[in-house]
Amino acid sequence: MKTTHARDIFIVCNSVDELGGLTRWADHIARLFVASGHRVELIGITPATTRAGYRDVPYRTRTLYTEHPPPGWRPRRPWQHANVKARIRQHRRDTGMRAAADQLSEVFRAAPSDAVIIVAQVWAMEWVALADTAGLPVVAMSHESYEASRASSRYGRVKRYYSRADRLLLLTHEDADAWAVDHMTNVGYMPNPLPLVVDEPADGTEKTVVSLGRLSYEKGYDLLLEAWADVAPKHPDWTLRLHGTGDEEAALRAQAETLGIAGSVDFAGQTSDIEGALKKASVFALASRAEGFPLSLLEAMACGLPCVAFDCAPGVREIIRDGTDGLLAVTGNTRQFADQLDRLLGDPELRATLGARARKDAERFSPDAVLARWEHVFQLVHR
Amino acid sequence: MSGPSAGEATPDVTVVVVVYNDAERLPTAVRSVLDQTLDSVEVLIVDDHSPDDSYAVARRLAEAHPGRVRALQLPENSGSGGGPRNAGIEAARGRYLMFLDSDDRLDRHACMSMLDAAEETGADLVSARVVRVHVDKRNKITEWHPWLYETSRVLDSVLEEPDLVVWDTLSTNKCYRRDFLLGKELRYPTGVFYEDLLFAAEAWLAAERIAIIPNIVYYWNVATRTDRPSVTNRRHEIGNLLDRMEIHRRIDAVFARYGSHELKVRKDIKFLKHDLVLHLRDLPHRDTDYRERFADAVGAYLEQLEPEAYEAAGRMRAVCALLTARHDWDNLLPAADSLMNVDRVPAVPVHKVTVPLHVEGDRVYWCAEHLDTERGRELLDVTELGFQTRTLPKLWPGNRLTKLGVEGERIVFGGSVVNTLGRIPRDAKLSAVLEIRPRRGLLRGRGVEVPVDVLRHTGEAVEWEAGVELGRRVHPVGVVDKVWDVRLRLKVGDQKVVTGLTMGDVSLDGVRVPVLPLTGPISADRFQAVGGPRGELEIWLDQESAAARRTHEFVHDFVHSPRGEATVRRAVAARGLAHKLTGPKSKAKVYANVFMKLPVRQGTVVFESHMGKQYSDSPKYIYEEMRRAGVKFEAIWSYSGKPDGFPKDAKLVKRGSWEYYRALAQAEFWIDNQGFPRDVLKRPETTYIQTWHGSALKQMGDDQPAEKRRTQAQRAATRRMLDRFDYFVVRSRHDVDTLVRAFNLRAEVLPVGYPRNDALVDGGAALAEQLAALRTRLGLADGRRVLLYAPTFRQDGADVADFEMPFDLDRFGREFGSEWVLLVRTHYLNEFTVPPGAADFVRNVSNIHDITQLLLLADGLVTDYSSVMFDYALLDRPMFFYAYDFDAYTRQERGAYFDLREHAPGPFVEDEEGLFAALRGFDASRSEYADARGAFVKRFGEYDTGTAARAVVERFFGGKGTTGGAR
Repeated sequence: MKTTHARDIFIVCNSVDELGGLTRWADHIARLFVASGHRVELIGITPATTRAGYRDVPYRTRTLYTEHPPPGWRPRRPWQHANVKARIRQHRRDTGMRAAADQLSEVFRAAPSDAVIIVAQVWAMEWVALADTAGLPVVAMSHESYEASRASSRYGRVKRYYSRADRLLLLTHEDADAWAVDHMTNVGYMPNPLPLVVDEPADGTEKTVVSLGRLSYEKGYDLLLEAWADVAPKHPDWTLRLHGTGDEEAALRAQAETLGIAGSVDFAGQTSDIEGALKKASVFALASRAEGFPLSLLEAMACGLPCVAFDCAPGVREIIRDGTDGLLAVTGNTRQFADQLDRLLGDPELRATLGARARKDAERFSPDAVLARWEHVFQLVHR
Repeated sequence: MSGPSAGEATPDVTVVVVVYNDAERLPTAVRSVLDQTLDSVEVLIVDDHSPDDSYAVARRLAEAHPGRVRALQLPENSGSGGGPRNAGIEAARGRYLMFLDSDDRLDRHACMSMLDAAEETGADLVSARVVRVHVDKRNKITEWHPWLYETSRVLDSVLEEPDLVVWDTLSTNKCYRRDFLLGKELRYPTGVFYEDLLFAAEAWLAAERIAIIPNIVYYWNVATRTDRPSVTNRRHEIGNLLDRMEIHRRIDAVFARYGSHELKVRKDIKFLKHDLVLHLRDLPHRDTDYRERFADAVGAYLEQLEPEAYEAAGRMRAVCALLTARHDWDNLLPAADSLMNVDRVPAVPVHKVTVPLHVEGDRVYWCAEHLDTERGRELLDVTELGFQTRTLPKLWPGNRLTKLGVEGERIVFGGSVVNTLGRIPRDAKLSAVLEIRPRRGLLRGRGVEVPVDVLRHTGEAVEWEAGVELGRRVHPVGVVDKVWDVRLRLKVGDQKVVTGLTMGDVSLDGVRVPVLPLTGPISADRFQAVGGPRGELEIWLDQESAAARRTHEFVHDFVHSPRGEATVRRAVAARGLAHKLTGPKSKAKVYANVFMKLPVRQGTVVFESHMGKQYSDSPKYIYEEMRRAGVKFEAIWSYSGKPDGFPKDAKLVKRGSWEYYRALAQAEFWIDNQGFPRDVLKRPETTYIQTWHGSALKQMGDDQPAEKRRTQAQRAATRRMLDRFDYFVVRSRHDVDTLVRAFNLRAEVLPVGYPRNDALVDGGAALAEQLAALRTRLGLADGRRVLLYAPTFRQDGADVADFEMPFDLDRFGREFGSEWVLLVRTHYLNEFTVPPGAADFVRNVSNIHDITQLLLLADGLVTDYSSVMFDYALLDRPMFFYAYDFDAYTRQERGAYFDLREHAPGPFVEDEEGLFAALRGFDASRSEYADARGAFVKRFGEYDTGTAARAVVERFFGGKGTTGGAR
């Protein structure tokens, strides 16, 4: 999609090249903006601790600090006011912050008046708030669910630093509503774009259920194995393939042994060919206990796989409509999860209908659909 | 900000700011529009020909912001808000239109949120959240009908959600497509107040696409104590009232045009719940002329309300409506008082009652009058409010002030406590004191109590008089103790009733006495009688002298200044810290760091049952067996709430108190059936015997989805809690396969059966005396058989559901009432009130701690999924399984360990018909299910052989003296 109004877009993140989901999003959206005709600069506050190493980037990048600033400090008890060392460190931090904010101000002042500043993380917003945005509209984003923010110190910072932004965009309608009810008045909704463009869907002949992700407690693979132990005996010709590594791997292998399903579970390790891995399966399972906006689910749907997932977050509900383009189970209810898998495995027709619908519905998050939403936001904040 | 200026191009939004005599606040309102994040906004100020310089201010604003602000003036005053708003609609240029009053303001993002929603959905009308800002209460905010604005959504007609029209009657929190207003010819009515109610109703109904967003857009400034009340705050003027009724009639006509009956019913409900209450609140303070005209205007309207509305609005509102229509002030004023004074915490709300009530047969009426018509009998029937089921202290009788005056320095009070339903017997021993105390909790002790001078029973009421030289008897601090409450503490026999004083129409004029506060005469100098918001008498520490007034203003201004607010915050934080120091977390710290280091006291045993809520279950029976066997030990029982019913020969500690933590830290044994607080660590020298409280039908522990989805840290905390158990009592293999496995217990399993069930195995011989006493207490001595209904605890999400009887008690009474008495036992969180008319054959036994005795009394049991089934089966008496929500309950969230339908040792029925049919076959089921009961006991109670308590005591306390136990 080509834009009708090419602009300068600044995307401010904690760091530009960090290994992780947020920068993967930033890299992806920046490439999409550039491809549609915009000029993009990715601004990181601090250098990355673990570099992701994005190559051939078509956008400019800039990092404000050369090394990590000292952490913020505020006396919580009266006697802590006397902590001279901490005070000096805090002073140094303040000075550094002002210098970094001045750099930002310079960048913003030099930009044309139709530019837009996107702040992708609330920590980075502390610097933008100090800077002179030169009248440019600020679009703030929070890439996690309201509940997740609520449970962390980010909640207070979102309220404090994001309330003045021209728009605050959340990943789902439900999260936007939750923040609005909590008196953030500038909220709107912006999903993440689908990372894959899949030309041909999976052919659906493989008798394999696949799941992708870190093998960590949060991702719920222990629950997936429990559910599989219910399903496997009824469908002995099917395999559950897990792609990924993580600290739980040994425990999971042991659990598979104990449950007597080691023969039908394939620990296939990490893969870089996500599309390939998905297409070698006919069903996708996501048993996470917590999620933001699970892109792997979207990718599976784009490949035309029918999905079963725990309904653990607004992001999951935003992507899957239960019974229409996928199947949901109450989080933690492994028996229900097993029932849903059982339904799919025993019914090729259901797999085909859900899969076809999933592929179509994933289009809502196609790069073009998301870019169109962004164009609307750019236009809105400049009206 | 960049972007095209709104000058020549069509602005996206026009905000019409209506002003009348408000030059002072107008610039703030306009500023809130100019500061919008959306630039393409036009401000159109319309002045309703104000006598002040509002228009001059408006013109200056227009000159200062050319192209963004325009000012209009009507050629003559139109008298209400409709005229200028209509002029705004005509002159606006924006594609969208919003309205703003000159004393309110828009949120900075309001226009952008509205425009975004309007454009994305193509709506004619976008409606959003409003908050009210109480400008004289430190800008405290309250939400305006927030439940309507929790999710964003799109409607094709407001009839999809009639509550929106009925409850959101504002026209200012909305954004209208201008073409929509013009096309539908929507205009405000003129020449009448409350014009926005009608306009909003018409707009809601005319819109063919509506977007609802939860974003706050509008700050509605509300001033309750200003000299210049805004229209909606002047309820007491009869002209307003007539306008209001006129608007209601016109809105009804609009509804009729759209042909929606449901809408009418809902609006009628709202009228009863909301509008009527607003007017009634003022009624005691109005003269007869006002009351008559009020009743004429409102009474006629009330007669037209739909009958369903009375049904849904609640009994007290129906009573008030009828009495208003009948101009019956004597009965209406107390009814209005009851309506405002209500405790909604219990499942059946408890209303204050200031009349004697009238009983006819099994029905209770508010008064004896008006019962000659069908309508009167219907609307005045208050039986379902359950006054007749309450004892005097729970009845909340009213205390009407009959006399108030000053004699010298004495304030004299006189009043009359109504003898509702004759709950105060003529021959009862009466005594009373009058107390006057500061409302603020910390200062309560600074109040005064005086005995009453006169106290006499007149049959219908107890009349009293008292006087107090208030200025001499108390020493107020000043500033911090402004409001004082007056209450009568009446003792009737051994029952105590505390009542506030209902003012009625007693005059408060001149009721004031001088006083010297501790902070000196500059903070306050007199006590003054004042009417409280709910019609109860208050006494305020007040100021008369100019100096005191100045101090008051100074303090007021300081508290509302930024520095003052910071000071208040710090003071509140300090109090929070004090609370923290005695909170559970601090106690757990002291427990771990201090109490755990104290030596273990050999021979001490801490008992607890159901988190201290009861003296019951296996811990009780172990305790009694220890006493019987003559074990030497120091018994400590934990209780929460009140210690009534706990053994007198044990040391009692309140759960959560310092003594409780100390007792746990130093105990040699813990014996409990559920769980001690999770932050309490168990030292290795302490032995924890967990008796548990029932076998499992539904999944427990790690088998539950709710447990599985928790975080690692949460599950580790549960693990630590369960790992404290040293011994775990079970009554069958089933318990081992379910509970022990699901909790993944490391404790040693004690296969001895439940101590609480010993009595069930031997048929209750040992408890004969207690059973006889209980039988008498419950009135079960007339030879009728006893049926126990004990359903399981039900919870709806986080909310505890009100308990609703799942079968028709009247029908039960008709069919079985002459042969059976039904005992109803609900979980202590699910409150149940015996309905009137059922008192003869129903007893509420929810508050009887020890269920074992109830099981022994019962000739038969009806349950659903409660673990009581496993225990009762031991008695080998008929059982009935009334599983009216079986699928929903066992299939959805938590699964079951076995299929009850298949294994139930008695008729398994899923509807009321089935239940009654099964009960008719009671005697047959005795033999029919005998084998099933036997199998059931074998499977779930094989270790219950009547010796459990003895086995536990012998194992751990054998040899009569306890030393070290078994570990």
